[in-house]
Amino acid sequence: MENKVKIGVMSFAHMHAYSYASALNKLDFVDFVGIADEDGSRARKFAKEFNTKAFKSYEEMLASDIDAVVVCSENMNHRKHVVLAAQSEKHVLCEKPIAGNLHDAEAIIEVAKRSHIQLMTAFPCRYHPAFVSLKKSVKAGDLGDVLAIKGTNQGRCPGGWFTDLSLSGGGAIIDHTVHLMDLIRDMTGAEPTKVYAEIDNRMLSKDFDDTGILTVDFSNGMFVTIDSSWSRPNSYPTWGNVNMDVTGTIGTASMKMFQQKIDYYSDENKGFFYLYWGDDMDYEMVKSFATSIHKGKDVEVTGEDGLAALKVAMAAYESAKTGKVIDLAEY
Amino acid sequence: MLKVALVGAGGMGRVHAKAYSQMEEAELVAVCDIDPEAAKKCADEYKIPAYTDFGEMIGNVDVDVVDICTPTYAHLECVKAAAEAGKHVACEKPLARTVSQAKEAVQVCEDAGVKLFVAHVLRWFPEYRSIKEHVAAGAIGDAVEVRTTRSGSHPNSPDSWYCDYSKSGGVVLDLIVHDFDWLRWCFGNVKRVYARGLYESKIPITDYALVTLRFENGVIAHVEGGWARPSGFITSAEVAGTKGLLNYSNADSVPLVIDKKAVEEDRPSITIPENPANESPYYKELRHFINCLESGETPEVTPEDGIEAVRIAEAALKSISSGQSVVLG
Ligand SMILES: NC(=O)c1ccc[n+]([C@@H]2O[C@H](COP(=O)([O-])OP(=O)(O)OC[C@H]3O[C@@H](n4cnc5c(N)ncnc54)[C@H](O)[C@@H]3O)[C@@H](O)[C@H]2O)c1
Repeated sequence: MENKVKIGVMSFAHMHAYSYASALNKLDFVDFVGIADEDGSRARKFAKEFNTKAFKSYEEMLASDIDAVVVCSENMNHRKHVVLAAQSEKHVLCEKPIAGNLHDAEAIIEVAKRSHIQLMTAFPCRYHPAFVSLKKSVKAGDLGDVLAIKGTNQGRCPGGWFTDLSLSGGGAIIDHTVHLMDLIRDMTGAEPTKVYAEIDNRMLSKDFDDTGILTVDFSNGMFVTIDSSWSRPNSYPTWGNVNMDVTGTIGTASMKMFQQKIDYYSDENKGFFYLYWGDDMDYEMVKSFATSIHKGKDVEVTGEDGLAALKVAMAAYESAKTGKVIDLAEY
Repeated sequence: MLKVALVGAGGMGRVHAKAYSQMEEAELVAVCDIDPEAAKKCADEYKIPAYTDFGEMIGNVDVDVVDICTPTYAHLECVKAAAEAGKHVACEKPLARTVSQAKEAVQVCEDAGVKLFVAHVLRWFPEYRSIKEHVAAGAIGDAVEVRTTRSGSHPNSPDSWYCDYSKSGGVVLDLIVHDFDWLRWCFGNVKRVYARGLYESKIPITDYALVTLRFENGVIAHVEGGWARPSGFITSAEVAGTKGLLNYSNADSVPLVIDKKAVEEDRPSITIPENPANESPYYKELRHFINCLESGETPEVTPEDGIEAVRIAEAALKSISSGQSVVLG
């Protein structure tokens, strides 16, 4: 195909890089040009697996004629990498959360604007068909006015750099709050106004937060709770969940995003597992990003979306620390 | 055999009446309801005298225990009347509409030297008892985070007392007080409450609340209560701990479903999920109280438990109203 869009991956620190790379390889209008990583052996390993090039450095990759990059580094390194890409005028798909703190997030948005690049926050759940259908139904008024939403994003503790605060910026709350917050903003068009949270680290008793429940008020009057925790045991049959129960004036909806599964009991693997057979939302998200770049259109999920979701997570930490309800207008 | 008089012969009163009719240790001897039709219907079924006046009933019939199944706002006056007549009292949950009423109910029983049992029936639902026992046995290590759901369609017509939240307390007091008591039973006292709900929203025949509780032992609990579903009734409970997870939902726990075709015009097709058990939880809780009265043992639900469950609900309502968290003293 003529005029393929050329995309590279910056860092495989976040495991989502794996499925994003698979998606890049599947898209016929995309040329997956290669991988750069601070860890050169990691770059070489995955370059081999995905049949692409391992660049020696980010600079080498960014000096090539690529159009865009996918940034999958640790939260606290996003800023550094997005700045590099923006300086070379490469469009960016940045893994969520957009950054490990609000200051970095704002800087990321600023540099993208100044460099006139497209900046997309990776919120793949927006592309899951269960959510797409739910959003359509809510927008069509099937439930009447939305009064309340109860969400859970509970998973196993991912370990690794996710639990190193100097690299992650936070534990379960920063990791999990942002997905549901983004879905709810997108689905209702309303903005969060107030945040209260009970947060703790009693699950693993380490120096990072592993459990928390946020209560968030929204501009349209609805109230929302989000369970943002690493509360699934290692023996849980899958990594976790993204669930939402929506209560409206004339109806309710319940979404269990990863419920399309087969129950698998294995003597050999000693356990019970869910085998997911639903659609691949990561693929759809990468396709959307690549399409925007290919067609010269604006990306569907912005850096500001990433910031808005991150702000709620950060306000939750502040609320848990102070015991206060945080007013986002003043935060 | 203890003689029981029923006060309030509505939906719950009929459940209690049936339980006593199956019990060897007790006997239903009279029923009182201010609605003569309700009283008569129940009286006819169990072949006992019907009264519309409590004093008249107590004057005419030899009674050991008064079982109160009146609407929540009327609990206190009925508890008072029973205690002052020197009768032991079983009272439906919530003990009363407010904490101060609940305290007064406990005080009058204490003053009169009668026993008071609050029918927090969830403790006799085998699934909830099982979770509590497994948590206590350390099956999941230390409990860290708990989630419960109790959510159905609205219980009654718009003119029912349930829809007047000044009388029923809405879902927070009427419905999830069940979970508040169960959670306290499992995890001890609550330190802090934060809640959002539709209690003050005035949306007809709809109520919904999401309540976060922080317990003194560090446990965080999320409690969902709803009268907002078009159909169905969902209950679930999950306890996440340092070494495991317990998860129950009524939707996944139905051992029998009977599906009937629409064979005649006036009989539509119908699906009936059933959860058969040899003894109903209502039977078990009331028999427990009767047994305690006979043996002198203290019932598993103490009068203080009855007050504390109302206290959590009241704090949640206060939080909904003020928008702030409420610390329990
Ligand atoms: N444990 C449970 O699962 C459960 C379930 C439903 C209700 N409840 C509780 O049971 C109580 C009764 O609820 P219900 O659904 O049966 O209500 P209901 O409206 O069906 O019945 C109440 C009855 O009490 C009568 N009554 C009212 N005031 C009275 C008075 N002062 N003296 C005598 N009779 C009086 C009414 O005429 C009516 O017949 C409430 O406190 C409710 O919260 C508990």
